[in-house]
Amino acid sequence: MHISEGVLSPSILVAGAAVTTAGVVMGLKRLEQKDVPSTGILSAAFFVASLVHVPIGPASVHLVLNGLLGLILGWRAFPAILIGLALQALLFQFGGITTLGVNTMNMALPAVVCSMVFGWAVRPRTPPMLRVVAAFACGSGAVLLSGLLVACSLYWSGEAFLPAAKLIVVAHLPVMAIEGVLTSACTVFLIRVKPELLEGGYVHSASS
Amino acid sequence: MFTVLRHDRCVGPYVRAAVVFFAAVLCVGLSSQPALAHKVTIFAWVEGDTIYTQSKFSGGRRAKNATVVVYDKDGWQLLEGKTDQKGMFSFKVPKKTDLRVVLKASMGHQAEWHIPVEDLVSESEDTAPGTVSEPVHPQADTSVDARARVEVAHERAGAFLSPQDMERVINRVLDKKLEPIQRMLAESMDHGPTVSDVVGGLGYIIGLMGVAMIVTSRRPKDRIRD
Repeated sequence: MHISEGVLSPSILVAGAAVTTAGVVMGLKRLEQKDVPSTGILSAAFFVASLVHVPIGPASVHLVLNGLLGLILGWRAFPAILIGLALQALLFQFGGITTLGVNTMNMALPAVVCSMVFGWAVRPRTPPMLRVVAAFACGSGAVLLSGLLVACSLYWSGEAFLPAAKLIVVAHLPVMAIEGVLTSACTVFLIRVKPELLEGGYVHSASS
Repeated sequence: MFTVLRHDRCVGPYVRAAVVFFAAVLCVGLSSQPALAHKVTIFAWVEGDTIYTQSKFSGGRRAKNATVVVYDKDGWQLLEGKTDQKGMFSFKVPKKTDLRVVLKASMGHQAEWHIPVEDLVSESEDTAPGTVSEPVHPQADTSVDARARVEVAHERAGAFLSPQDMERVINRVLDKKLEPIQRMLAESMDHGPTVSDVVGGLGYIIGLMGVAMIVTSRRPKDRIRD
């Protein structure tokens, strides 16, 4: 998921940075004081999740958790993911500083899209069965979309689309399954413990 | 996290779950390191006239079947190859110049290693063994003195090694002796993230949360209503 320095062409780097800037502005506008702790904790979760590798499948990949971030944070996933990725680039040398914009776009945009598509179903009032299914779809769908976006970025930089996309999606199949289950489990847990958190992102993005 | 503690009643299990999650992630992430596919590294070293490269993902898994491209210092592609099952790829020195060895693993992963031209000197200044390479000028050649000097040099070559030969032999022996060290270096070139990296990153995030709290508290409409 983390695209290294020197792989992408300058135009896609600039485009990614522009989308990311817009997303971060949207996210910060919606960041109220009471949202700060959850945003920070999920940013930290995203930061460490990349250390959990999934050694199943053709290539070894890692958790992304962007579906979960999108579900809880909505647009605020953009700043949270940007910070997580910046720290990963600085401390772990995953990805790179020049590719920060593109990488953030690739992971945060699917988070927002999935929260818009599936967020309405993961509310404290919706039936539990629907909630679990929607959370699963949100978790795995965000990873799938991220993989496709990575393939698109590589395609615009001159790599063939289909082989790259196929490789990335196949490599991330186990991650998609795990993240779906993880997101479902998290929502089940949060509904019991702190249901306000799940009202959060979507309500804000709808109201403001 | 701390503000959550202050503002909410039913917060115990929430915080506990977060702590457990991070602890679990730290254990899983740092103890077992089968592979970590966000970063590739390539390490190249010269042995005689061959350049060996070793490619791996951080965490130690070898990058199999990845493409290795070699460029000269002007950016011209000299050769291209694929790594084997152990992530190794070796090739003869194609040209005496600064080399840039670029590893292109799948999914947008890329890494490179520079080999300065000085590293290539060892064997590639191949002069034929036993010859004295100092150029003999035609005019100087006629002088008896110069010819005598050359003869003496040739005679000496029978008994001793010429400096060039000596250098070649030493180079070869050194290459052999240093090989395990080179390999060890290649092995230890890259570690995955360490505990201090992770803890440092988490510290940064907590600090940023503090900054965000201060900034948002300046906006009156965002104040938490009791």
